[in-house]
Amino acid sequence: MNAREKEEYLREYEILKKKGKSFFPYAIMKDSVMMLVVAGVLIAMSIIMGAEQGPKADPTTTTYVPRPEWYFFYLFELLRVIKPPALVPVATIGIPTICMVLLLLLPFYDRGPERIPWKRPIATITGIMVIIAMALLTYKGAVAGPPTEIDLPTAPQYEKGKQIVAQSGCLACHAIGENGAHGGLGPDLTEIGSKIPREAIKQSVTIGPGIMPSFKGLGNEDLNAVADYLASLD
Amino acid sequence: MKLLPSRKKKAEADGSENGEVEAVAKPTRGERAAQAKQLATHHGTQSGIDVAGWVDSRTNATGIFTAMMSRHVPKGTNWFYTLGSATMFIFAMQAITGVFLSMYYTPSATQAYASITHLTNEVFMGEFVRGLHKWGASLMIILIFLHMARTFFFGAYKYPRELNWVIGVVLLILTTVMGLTGYLLPFDQRSFWATIVANNITASGPVVGPYLADFLRAGPDFSATTLSRFYALHMMVVPGLIGALIGAHLFFVVKLGTTAPPWVRAGRPKGSRPTEAVAAGVAVEDLDEVAVNGAVTVADAEPPAEAEVDAAEAEEVEAKPAEETEAETAAPEPAEEAAEEASSEEDGEVNS
Repeated sequence: MNAREKEEYLREYEILKKKGKSFFPYAIMKDSVMMLVVAGVLIAMSIIMGAEQGPKADPTTTTYVPRPEWYFFYLFELLRVIKPPALVPVATIGIPTICMVLLLLLPFYDRGPERIPWKRPIATITGIMVIIAMALLTYKGAVAGPPTEIDLPTAPQYEKGKQIVAQSGCLACHAIGENGAHGGLGPDLTEIGSKIPREAIKQSVTIGPGIMPSFKGLGNEDLNAVADYLASLD
Repeated sequence: MKLLPSRKKKAEADGSENGEVEAVAKPTRGERAAQAKQLATHHGTQSGIDVAGWVDSRTNATGIFTAMMSRHVPKGTNWFYTLGSATMFIFAMQAITGVFLSMYYTPSATQAYASITHLTNEVFMGEFVRGLHKWGASLMIILIFLHMARTFFFGAYKYPRELNWVIGVVLLILTTVMGLTGYLLPFDQRSFWATIVANNITASGPVVGPYLADFLRAGPDFSATTLSRFYALHMMVVPGLIGALIGAHLFFVVKLGTTAPPWVRAGRPKGSRPTEAVAAGVAVEDLDEVAVNGAVTVADAEPPAEAEVDAAEAEEVEAKPAEETEAETAAPEPAEEAAEEASSEEDGEVNS
């Protein structure tokens, strides 16, 4: 907007304001009706859905698959969409930060005088695309259930480790055979045994390198079973 | 209550006295009213009744309130404009229910879960209030996004409301921070493990990531302090910031006014129509130039680059007035629109 357009806008706005109604009671009436609707919806939600309490937090059992609140699903899903492990920081920090900065500085790079949505197609289409993308990622994040089965055949001595792996939430981030998160947060574990020695696997599971949580709480016996099982995958 | 009848009697007595000395000096009706008013004011200040007046004379609260209430919202203001106040309403609800929850909550890793169980199952309306707080968070996120979508699609973030957009985005970020910090407090499995992952994600960030994660966890590992740290952030730091920023947000709303829907045109009040000047032989563009020169204060704030563009545009425009003036004398209304369109097309490159 140049100076002439700014002046023009302010002049136009003054006229619009003169032709408008006073805040009280007209605008405040609409606001109050809206607040009542919101309060009604909120009370109904609280009564119908209540506030269930989940099982108590237990750092020693890692059978729980972490799920964020629904309004973080799109971020959660973004992590699964971006595949190469080297790019994980891009998904976790890079893209959200860039989006936030772009959003914050919007009025400083979109300085055109036009305000009617259909007369500034780039902004409008971008906005709609962002909404669709977020809705889609939120939906996909919502339906991606926590997997707890591993179909890959295993020798009987590794069966115990396999059960622990399946139920400890490993598959929320990793893929094993057909199961788990393909292109998830963590690397594919289908052939992990041929890539990393058993001791290194055990150490990774114990420490939880990078964004992976530590599974120290499983206890040494279970950790050994997990390491044995994972080392057998090749 | 006793004062009133006695004062009335006294007034009557005064009246009769006045009647007797009528011939000497009869005060006019106006004078008597003024006297009575003075007396009342005197009594009021003496007995401390007029607290509102006392405060008002020092703060101008009534004036500010009246100005806020009687200010005009522009023509065309519709239901989309209620989303902001609805978001603020939900924030107020969160603050109130949050205070009640904090009365029963113990921010310690060993007692947090039990205190929530107690609150949910035994405290009167406990689960209801917790439900309000829990679902209020979701509603607030939905409403703040809807409010932002309205602002975006209506182009309401543009001049002169850029700063308010920035404040709004910071409020959005703070609201999600509230969601994140509040998620841990129930201290069930879901909240615990989600927070661990969120923290690990924070730690994967460049440069400040590991330090920020250490700060949030209060150390390299998740500990008892982590919970109380999240509690402090959730209870005091972030709500305080949100409250202050809502104040700033509202200040700008009142100062700059809310936008009208962009497709609502003002039309022009009679007498200020540029077309009348056009009839007198002055082009619309010339009029605008004059107006710009009049508003030096607006131009001052401009970076030089834009001023150059402006000058270039002005040159371009100067080539046109002749034909435009012709068209406008023939049919004033459409020509004015055409001129507006032409100017908006010129800016098409700058515009997005």
